[in-house]
Amino acid sequence: MRAVNTSPPAGHQVSRASSPHEYHARGWNLVWREVAAFTTGAFGSLVTREFLTIAVPLLLLWELLPRLGVVPKTLVPPLTTVAASAWDLVQHGHLAQHIVASLKRLAIGLSLALLLAFPLGVLMGWNPYLRKHLLPLFQLLAPIPPPAWVPITIIVLGVGWRMQTFLIFLGAFYPILFNTYQGVKDTDPRYLASARVFGASEWTLIRAVYIPHALGSVVMGIKIGIAMALVMLVIAEMYGTQIGVGRLLSESKEYFRIERMVVCMAILGALGWFLIEIMKYLEAKLALWRVGR
Amino acid sequence: MIEARRITKFFSVVNAHQIAAGVTAVLSASLTIEDGQFISLVGASGCGKSTFLEILAGLQAPTDGEVYIDGKLVLEPLPSTRREMDAYREKYRFLSPIANGLIRDNPKHDIAMIFQDYAVFPWMTVQQNVLFTLELRGVPRAERAPLAQRYLQQVGLLGSEDKYPSQLSGGMRQRLALARALSVEPKIILMDEPFAAVDAITREKLQDDLLRLWQDTGRTIVMVTHDLDEALYLSDAIVVFSPLPGTIRNRLPVEVPRPRRRDSAELAELRARIQAIYHYDMHGESEYVG
Ligand SMILES: Nc1ncnc2c1ncn2[C@@H]1O[C@H](COP(=O)(O)OP(=O)(O)OP(=O)(O)O)[C@@H](O)[C@H]1O
Ligand SMILES: [Mg+2]
Repeated sequence: MRAVNTSPPAGHQVSRASSPHEYHARGWNLVWREVAAFTTGAFGSLVTREFLTIAVPLLLLWELLPRLGVVPKTLVPPLTTVAASAWDLVQHGHLAQHIVASLKRLAIGLSLALLLAFPLGVLMGWNPYLRKHLLPLFQLLAPIPPPAWVPITIIVLGVGWRMQTFLIFLGAFYPILFNTYQGVKDTDPRYLASARVFGASEWTLIRAVYIPHALGSVVMGIKIGIAMALVMLVIAEMYGTQIGVGRLLSESKEYFRIERMVVCMAILGALGWFLIEIMKYLEAKLALWRVGR
Repeated sequence: MIEARRITKFFSVVNAHQIAAGVTAVLSASLTIEDGQFISLVGASGCGKSTFLEILAGLQAPTDGEVYIDGKLVLEPLPSTRREMDAYREKYRFLSPIANGLIRDNPKHDIAMIFQDYAVFPWMTVQQNVLFTLELRGVPRAERAPLAQRYLQQVGLLGSEDKYPSQLSGGMRQRLALARALSVEPKIILMDEPFAAVDAITREKLQDDLLRLWQDTGRTIVMVTHDLDEALYLSDAIVVFSPLPGTIRNRLPVEVPRPRRRDSAELAELRARIQAIYHYDMHGESEYVG
């Protein structure tokens, strides 16, 4: 019945139940199927034949060029050295703890940003009166590059988790705010009019018209927010902590452990990739109606 | 009863060369529609019919004039002096005059409207679209689903409940818009070119359905259309708009007894008269007699 042809643009596949029986799966069954769908969607684009023809030669070059002495081995550690270093970090360097610590910071900073920026964006997009009061403030503050906030944040909040959380929050806040605002403001007036004739109050309009209409740009804002939050994570972890992937990175720099630096970079990249894949998946789930077009 | 008194609507627009220009979309249009009547509005494209309809629905404030529905003012007209305008702005600074209130759903008048491009919500399935208007009408949650089924069945959309509008054909979207309008059980239905996007055979079927529905329920229907035959076949009276600025040119009663035949001679004669009016307005030649 709901056999929607789901082929979202980004080239990832979301397999959807086709028979009513499958569709009504509950509990673990459902969780399992969602996870499977997500995994095929996320990794599907990595293990296509087309991409492998690019990726495998690149990885081979990475391994061979330093080994053959084409590039200095001390500056460009080969793939296997990096992998060995990663394994070493897992066994003796508490890599898992570093990752968990960074993820926690990201999660708190991002959640705070979302909790504040989303409602604010909706309010400013919905009501011109509120917009005129609030928008100029954010338009003045937003152009300040988030890293420029670091010194004053350290002085005001001290070095520690509060300053780290705030910096990550700051990176994610403006992209989510402005994308939400724009998406809500651009809501097609015809939809508003058609809900109004039937008596929709402003609250109902926000709930049932503005927000569903803006969902796509909200998700877009969160994606940009994630990227910015990662930037701020690396910067924030340079100060006042012993644990975290960003911390590990700056530490490796001090000890000139290039292979460790590469491991950290790979982990940060993977983190960002993974979070963005989650957003893509949510987007495909939430904005099912767009897909059929 | 709908009473539109000397409705004028002026749009100020800035054109591509940054020069302010104005369009008078509707000029001093007065129209009275009795309860239970079926009225069609016809006129050249861009002559202000949709604008007029939206003013009747209270979705746009007229620049001048008032609309009364059952004696109740729909929207106050825009003020004309600067002082009054400032006061008006101050009064509506937080909520726009067309808003229905902040929290509680409550239609101001007993009206449903079908828009020229339907404006059904693309993010809701067919069923959810109807459930939504039922919710706005204040139907208790438990009763909504069976009611929605009933309205969808009335327009022949059973079996497509779980589809999204983007997966429907133009005609099906049209019928969804109709089901949505019917589901609020309004006294007045305003329709803006409802059958423009469907093929001739489906259109005749939909027209007959609409006619039956109108005769069964005694609703007031105001319909904008480009199809003269449709207007003649369905309506009690046809209101002819002149080209821009849209004024009401004529109101022609269609006094042909129902059930009508689409090819009856009386309708053909009326049709010729309306076409003569069109011709006169376009070319300024007086072929029009009587
Ligand atoms: N929001 C607006 N701003 C400026 N001009 C407008 C606006 N809405 C309508 N107009 C102008 O008002 C005139 C009447 O528009 P309207 O949509 O009412 O025409 P219509 O009779 O419904 O045409 P059609 O039969 O093609 O649907 C047009 O010339 C249009 O350009
Ligand atoms: Mg129109």
